[in-house]
Amino acid sequence: MRKNLFLMIGVILAAALGLYLGFTFLRPYAFHGTVLQGSEPVKDFTLTSMHGQPVKLSDFQDKIVVLYFGYTFCPDVCPTTLSEIKKALALLGPAASEFQVIMITVDPERDTPAVLNEYMAQFDPGFLGLTGTVSEIQNIAAPFGVYFAKQADPSSAQYLMEHTASVLVINRKGALKLLWPYGTPAADMADDLRYLLRSN
Amino acid sequence: MKRAAILTLAVLFVLFVGAALAFAVFQPIKVLPRIRLAPGFAMTDQSGARLTNESLRGSIVVYNYIYTGCGQGCAKSMQTLGEVQSALAGLNTGGIPVKLVSIALDPANDTSPAMSAYAQAYQANPSVWRIATLTDTTLLKTIVGGGFEVYYQPKEDGSYALDQVFTLVDGWGIIRGEYRYSALTSDSDRILKHIGVLVEEVQKSVGAARLAYEAAHLFMCYAP
Repeated sequence: MRKNLFLMIGVILAAALGLYLGFTFLRPYAFHGTVLQGSEPVKDFTLTSMHGQPVKLSDFQDKIVVLYFGYTFCPDVCPTTLSEIKKALALLGPAASEFQVIMITVDPERDTPAVLNEYMAQFDPGFLGLTGTVSEIQNIAAPFGVYFAKQADPSSAQYLMEHTASVLVINRKGALKLLWPYGTPAADMADDLRYLLRSN
Repeated sequence: MKRAAILTLAVLFVLFVGAALAFAVFQPIKVLPRIRLAPGFAMTDQSGARLTNESLRGSIVVYNYIYTGCGQGCAKSMQTLGEVQSALAGLNTGGIPVKLVSIALDPANDTSPAMSAYAQAYQANPSVWRIATLTDTTLLKTIVGGGFEVYYQPKEDGSYALDQVFTLVDGWGIIRGEYRYSALTSDSDRILKHIGVLVEEVQKSVGAARLAYEAAHLFMCYAP
């Protein structure tokens, strides 16, 4: 009788511990970024790379693409975001090679391939800068929810670009899976990328 | 001892499967699907002011698609947004702004004065409901046709072949609802109900409850 009682208490305690561990370690991963559930591939596009060569999004089908729309004269938002992405990839270690970071310039007037090349190298030689005409870039940016426009800079004769600062993540099937708002920390990005890599 | 371990595993298994099944079947939480990103844009509204998708970030937005020369063709759509506008006054959104945007598709004729007159005809309150367009017709087509996936095509007589569609976009700029035809429920009732679902998700999806909401997305517990 006593043996059965101990057995039952043991089972209940083990079940409680199991539930706790289960919910702690087996619970579904909650992304830091916003998840998009569509599985349709995004529309392919061709732009000019910072090396002067035409580049298609579909050229990176074997990678998970981290896509950002920014510009080299950007005073704060773009360098901060690119630095966070760089830190996130560093946290991933060798798995970083599974990702391709692409920045499409929203200021093609000033961001020639040579300017982009010099700028992107400051962050990571593997980061890729793309440019094209304003019209080409607008047509690519709009479906990604990205808007940009020139804005006069009262502090100088130059201009700034007002632009959407979200970072987008496209999986190997070409579907847009994740959106990070500006200010997402590198550690959160790394968590999400690590999970995406596992689930891919 | 071995029997106890097997029993424990069995109990755990039944609990997990039972909980997952119960969630999938009873769907205790309803959400709206995250369909895709709404397009980025910068347009000019009826007062000549700029309206961008970034300025709408943080707001729940209902879009429809019209042109000022549309006449009766767009009347039903505008009346529906008018009903939504009226109902919003009595809706508790917990401080989350809800905006209405009518995208005008004929920029050559949809000038600011024309859009302003059109807005007044439907009693659009400019702080809630704006009518806006874009002069670059190619980009407008990319935004409306490609981004919002709304079909429209100019006809030889100057009118437009145009699908009557409403699009519901959340504060992150993600399309959460597309209403392509009137069902048994009127469009305004359904749109208002879905605005309520979005508001609830924003308010309640914090801390541990966020996991439950993510599970609702995973199990596609979509509000009808």
